[in-house]
Amino acid sequence: MNLLAFAGRRLAGAAVLLVLLSAAVFAVTAVLPGDAVSAVAGVDASAAQRADVRAGLGLDRPAAERYAAWAADAVRGDLGHGFVGERPVTDILATRLPNSLLLAGLTLAVTAPLATLLGLWTGLRGGGTADRVVSTGAQVLAAIPEFVVAALLVAVLAVWAGVLPRVSVVPLGGTPLDAPRALVLPVLTLSAVGLAVATRLLRVSVADAAATPYCEAARLGGVRGIRLAVRHVLPNAAGPAVQALTLTTGALVGSAVVVENVFDYPGIGRELQLAVAARDVPMVQGIATALVAVMLLVLLLGDVCARLIGAREGHGR
Amino acid sequence: MTTALTPRRRPGTPARRSARRRPPLLLGAATLLVVLLALLGPLVPPHSPTAQLAAPFQRPDGAFPLGTDVLGRDVASRVLGGGRTIVLTALAGTAAAGAVGMAAGVLAAMVSRRLGDLLVRCVDALAVLPPLLVVLVLAAGFPGSGAAVVAAVALATAPFSTRVLRAAADTVLASGYVEAARARGDTRRAVLRHDVLPNIAGPALVDTALRLVASLHLTATAGFLGLGPGGAAPDWGRMVSENAPGATLAAAPFLAPALLLVLLSVCVGLLAGRLADTVGRGAA
Repeated sequence: MNLLAFAGRRLAGAAVLLVLLSAAVFAVTAVLPGDAVSAVAGVDASAAQRADVRAGLGLDRPAAERYAAWAADAVRGDLGHGFVGERPVTDILATRLPNSLLLAGLTLAVTAPLATLLGLWTGLRGGGTADRVVSTGAQVLAAIPEFVVAALLVAVLAVWAGVLPRVSVVPLGGTPLDAPRALVLPVLTLSAVGLAVATRLLRVSVADAAATPYCEAARLGGVRGIRLAVRHVLPNAAGPAVQALTLTTGALVGSAVVVENVFDYPGIGRELQLAVAARDVPMVQGIATALVAVMLLVLLLGDVCARLIGAREGHGR
Repeated sequence: MTTALTPRRRPGTPARRSARRRPPLLLGAATLLVVLLALLGPLVPPHSPTAQLAAPFQRPDGAFPLGTDVLGRDVASRVLGGGRTIVLTALAGTAAAGAVGMAAGVLAAMVSRRLGDLLVRCVDALAVLPPLLVVLVLAAGFPGSGAAVVAAVALATAPFSTRVLRAAADTVLASGYVEAARARGDTRRAVLRHDVLPNIAGPALVDTALRLVASLHLTATAGFLGLGPGGAAPDWGRMVSENAPGATLAAAPFLAPALLLVLLSVCVGLLAGRLADTVGRGAA
């Protein structure tokens, strides 16, 4: 019951935040100088043409009124049409978002177990050589922009070794699962980046858990190695670890946008970049709002999971 | 109690300790070198970085030490010219983020607790946005503007600074000497100037260094995605995206800027990490 109330309160908070952030996105794209009119009417349109387009797009109305109308439609599941090709924004979301979620899911499936292993290994050997090597490696990897990691992987695996396709060509009308080889490089890049972020966060929670009196007692009682890690440290580190993985997933949303662009992967990030390049304002608004919603949902799920683990262990508040 | 049983960290051997405490000369020199290359490179290009001089993807030869790129421009000249925007934009973004974070963090610590919590919560709402999304949306709002990238970098990284600096300022404000200063009638302004600011300078420096890492990361990515000032001007990030399709024809046009970006971000990242270690240990 308590958990339901907690989840409900968080959900309400996330909804309020979504409204505020979507308003911010709307304000930046619709009110600021990146005017949709010149994107539609062309740069050399006459003043009369521009006025026509402006009225046609409803841009002559006050911004608050436009946002209210947009938000009312959005609640009913209509995010409007993009300027380019008049495609409904929801259609794009429906076809592209699953591809991106697939990418994120596969990445998480690779990252979570590996990061847990590395986090346990380094966290239990704080200060040792292994810890220093892995921590420095993670620090280095986290500092390099995703597209550079991707470019270097392309150089090695696609150009020199020639074992993988350089771009993710997905058959028309198919899903990326029809061309599994196309998924390898994007997932590899995202996993490398995610691993760098997650290992560092997990290392801290493991080191904290290992320093608790409970683990100390187990260690003094002669429990060592894998048994200590699995039975004593991991359950104690699980709460913070879930939050660390949540943060990693959040960071993946941004990384995925870049990686999709490197590999021409047909995901939502690629569409967002194309929309920004074409100054397709409704599309940018729709996709950005959807991504914010995904992000909030991930954070919410992470909070609820951490709370569940905490409640089971009996140290939830 | 538990800390008495086992030290948190296994103490390293004295030799290793002193090795870690030695100032990172090599790292510092490498960073300086790559930053100087980025800043001064545009002054000494052998050819025009934007002119089409030969066929695309020529192999390296005497005239073009790194060959030519996708449009037949000299890669060496573009590599020399392409780092300055990234470094300067990242520095401007960091400075803006640092100023905003410092102001908001100190303000949140100095006002009443409830107001401060509210401020931090507003800032946290911004932190929900993936930084790249902020960059993309702002770039859609101000197409082709370098200022948009700076603003986006500042907006995306300032929330973390605010949190860190508020926590740092809170610790100082709760200390005995601030209490003493207040008791003898020092004004808020005097406390801010003589107690808070000097004492949060260390954390602020570390935080700024970490923001610079994030800032470089975002700026390079913005260049790669073709945001910010467009056109033919060279940019390491954009060079990677321009020349990646021709990777099978010529490796240098996209490997050279990619490796320079690796060198730049890794050096700055490791230096920031060392700085955080040193200052953190000094404070503890």
